Amino acid sequence: MEEIQNLRNIGISAHIDSGKTTLTERILFYTKRIHAIHEVRGKDGVGAKMDSMELEKERGITISSAATYCQWKGHQINIIDTPGHVDFTIEVERALRVLDGAILVLCAVGGVQSQSITVDRQMNRYAVPRIAFINKCDRSGADPNRVLMQIREKLNENPVLMQIPIGLEGGFSGVVDLVSMKAVYFEGDRGETLHVKEIPAELLEEAKARHEELLDAASLFSDELTEAILEERVEDDLIHEAVRNGTLARKLTPVFVGSAYKNVGVQPLLDAVNRYLPSPTDVENIALDLDHDEKEIPLKVDSKKPLVALAFKLEVTPYGQLTYLRVYQGSIGKGDDIFITRNRKKIKVGRLVRMHADEMEDIERAGAGEIVALFGVDCYSGDTFTDGQLNYSMSTMFVPEPVISMTIVPSDNKAQGNMSKALNRFTREDPTFRTHVDAESGETIISGMGELHLDVYVERMKREFQAEVVTGIPQVAYRETITAKAEFDYTHKKQTGGAGQFGRVAGFMEPSKDGSYVFVNEVKGGAIPTEFIASVDKGFQSCLRKGALLGFPVAGMQVTVNDGKAHSVDSSERAFTQAAVGAFRQAYNKARPVILEPIMKVSIECPSEFQGNVMASINQRRGLIMSSAEDGAFSAIDAEVPLAEMFGYATVLRSLTQGKGEFTMEFSKYAKVPESIAEDLKREFREKEKGEK
Amino acid sequence: MERFISVSPLKLLDQSSRKGLGTGNLGVLIARAGVGKTACLIHIAFDRIFHGEKLVHVSLDETPEKVTSYYNVILYDLVKALDMEDEFEFRGRIDQNRLILAYLNQSFSLDRLRANLENLEKNMGFKPDALIVDGMDCKEASRETFEAFRRLAEEVDAEIWFSALSHRHITETNERGIPYPCHEVDDLFSIILQLQPETSGMRLKLLKDHDHPSISDVSVSLDPGTFLVQAKE
Repeated sequence: MEEIQNLRNIGISAHIDSGKTTLTERILFYTKRIHAIHEVRGKDGVGAKMDSMELEKERGITISSAATYCQWKGHQINIIDTPGHVDFTIEVERALRVLDGAILVLCAVGGVQSQSITVDRQMNRYAVPRIAFINKCDRSGADPNRVLMQIREKLNENPVLMQIPIGLEGGFSGVVDLVSMKAVYFEGDRGETLHVKEIPAELLEEAKARHEELLDAASLFSDELTEAILEERVEDDLIHEAVRNGTLARKLTPVFVGSAYKNVGVQPLLDAVNRYLPSPTDVENIALDLDHDEKEIPLKVDSKKPLVALAFKLEVTPYGQLTYLRVYQGSIGKGDDIFITRNRKKIKVGRLVRMHADEMEDIERAGAGEIVALFGVDCYSGDTFTDGQLNYSMSTMFVPEPVISMTIVPSDNKAQGNMSKALNRFTREDPTFRTHVDAESGETIISGMGELHLDVYVERMKREFQAEVVTGIPQVAYRETITAKAEFDYTHKKQTGGAGQFGRVAGFMEPSKDGSYVFVNEVKGGAIPTEFIASVDKGFQSCLRKGALLGFPVAGMQVTVNDGKAHSVDSSERAFTQAAVGAFRQAYNKARPVILEPIMKVSIECPSEFQGNVMASINQRRGLIMSSAEDGAFSAIDAEVPLAEMFGYATVLRSLTQGKGEFTMEFSKYAKVPESIAEDLKREFREKEKGEK
Repeated sequence: MERFISVSPLKLLDQSSRKGLGTGNLGVLIARAGVGKTACLIHIAFDRIFHGEKLVHVSLDETPEKVTSYYNVILYDLVKALDMEDEFEFRGRIDQNRLILAYLNQSFSLDRLRANLENLEKNMGFKPDALIVDGMDCKEASRETFEAFRRLAEEVDAEIWFSALSHRHITETNERGIPYPCHEVDDLFSIILQLQPETSGMRLKLLKDHDHPSISDVSVSLDPGTFLVQAKE
């Protein structure tokens, strides 16, 4: 257990250009994982270690997430590189999920920008404790105090300075540690030698005041520290413990200062990761027991328990597929048999490696809490692995049906091949992303959970697979359903030379309770011979694929067949399938069919002053506001809005809120389209049909 | 809906002088911790919604998700207890007519609430007939606060319900029989209800009925599981 307590799985999250990659590079240098430092936009053409993709090197930003491992003062640290862009994909979610803690990097000049707010809020959603690092204190215009205020006001956190800078901008040379009350200077070519000295006289007063502030803030989280303060016998360890308690409870954010580029302040930040951020044992993780209706089961960080691990990232390397894995419970070793919960497939663990960006180290076994990678395992991202004893999943097995689709056409031959590769990869990563080729038009159609969702993948096709595609207009996935019971009695008869066709099908259709298709056979006395019943079912099902109102699938229908007639010579499977098609057409319009549209649960966050405008914009979109929550200067509005009304909302919201508002949406349910809109849709459909004829 | 209304805890107010709280007035439900104040308030909400009114639920300590899940759990139990089939319809009706305003981390102020209500009416056409204020610390709230709430009730032409936490060990009661913590502000409330556990379930008592001077033990017995009025006493 002692080892697990010395393990840290952290993310470094930041706004683009606040220096995340440089900081990561320095961390790897000081932890001796790399032996030279290359700048992100370096002239030596090597690039920083975490940017494993060519394009990222060019742009100087990190896009894809990778995990890397290092050691610092007896602690093992896995750094999970979380994408700095805000596109809300399942991959970002998974990266956040496997973190136990994070460093929030902020630029001393730029401060808390809107993207930092988004990332911070995502971390709140996953209850990730964090420490903040105010980077770029050497830049002109650097103002750590302003950033500190912004952490309080914009992120609504309770920040406390752990250090103050010695000098700023061009004169930035070190930091004052407010716990030990010493000045720390970083010397040597790469700042690798730390010199601890007395606090410069001109900073002493400020340092004392900030030290008092730190004690005040920290004492709230430790009675022992409070007592020690009263008795004037404060020791460093007591402060560290109190700050750790506050950080783990996410009620305190320790703030550090430095400049990764100038090699100032990185080592103390690593000390802080060890001291204040949680080990896997400090965090509760939940699995779902699929044998018991997805009941939530807390996992034990114990390597002796049965294995539960999550594949959170796939990477295609020249040597095959690499699967990044977090072990939550139990352990995984070379030669073990493990099972994928999704399909119960057994896999033998071949190579087990610990990743260091694009280099790897073979290991024999990894225990609970660790992050490792497997080679050549055929699985999807998000898959849960167990040792076969447990039927647990780390995420729900329920995969919603896509609600939006659009056509994509490759721009040239090269893009054609790359597009196929990309689609193959994306469908493995994300079960809500689907693709198919339309039988009628021959076009490739991608479907997903929203406009942004599809945009992200189109962008990734270009970026990662060099597949330029032309996209069509997004189409909402409407459905049709019936609202009344209607009877049918249809005879299919054909006698025009050759073998005749005969089949009679009678019964009724009605709305089904759970929204699925149900076929009930109540035929008595062999009125329809048993061997033809399946054909009747097939006939009805074939009609469900394309409803008569809009040509969209029909959902939520129960069909009961209770009578019929067969002919000893002319009846056949085909005749009964045709009879069912006829029966469906006969009854469908009588069953009062309606059009259903996907309704999205939309969550909008914006400064409270824009709340009224945002509410009005939801109202204009046929939306229903469910709630509004105010927290500090921010408001969060939850609403249900038809997907068809949400196209282009990102732009609208930006202009309504001076760029400060943002929203996420996810599928909620299908609901009936209002009559006036249904009429428009039907008219459009009829015109399109006519056009095609 | 009719079936619920006939056994709703607010049925008690049928016996009050004005058959209800009425717009522009404040009402309060007093109970000890863990007795079911929030559940009872949500029943009051259901009663108003199923009477065709619009409601704003103001939460001072819980997130909207939590409040929504309370409503869902209570509705689920209700549908089961009354053996009603139209849960979907009920849920739709609640979603259409209830709006939750949450104020987290001491973000609440009356001015903000007033601004939000104006917003709802102006931008959404949503004008509540009733407000439920859950999570307010009545013992800390000043007389001025309730006076301001009363003015707000008149301004927005709605009734406002509160809950107040009493304590087993504080037995203070004023000369009108109104217990702690409402004993010093009872003149500002038009209806005061008290929820008390008893051996056979729960009793909801009417302690104040507008300006009606004497109330002789007006109460109903509630099922402790569902908070519905028990069939026969």
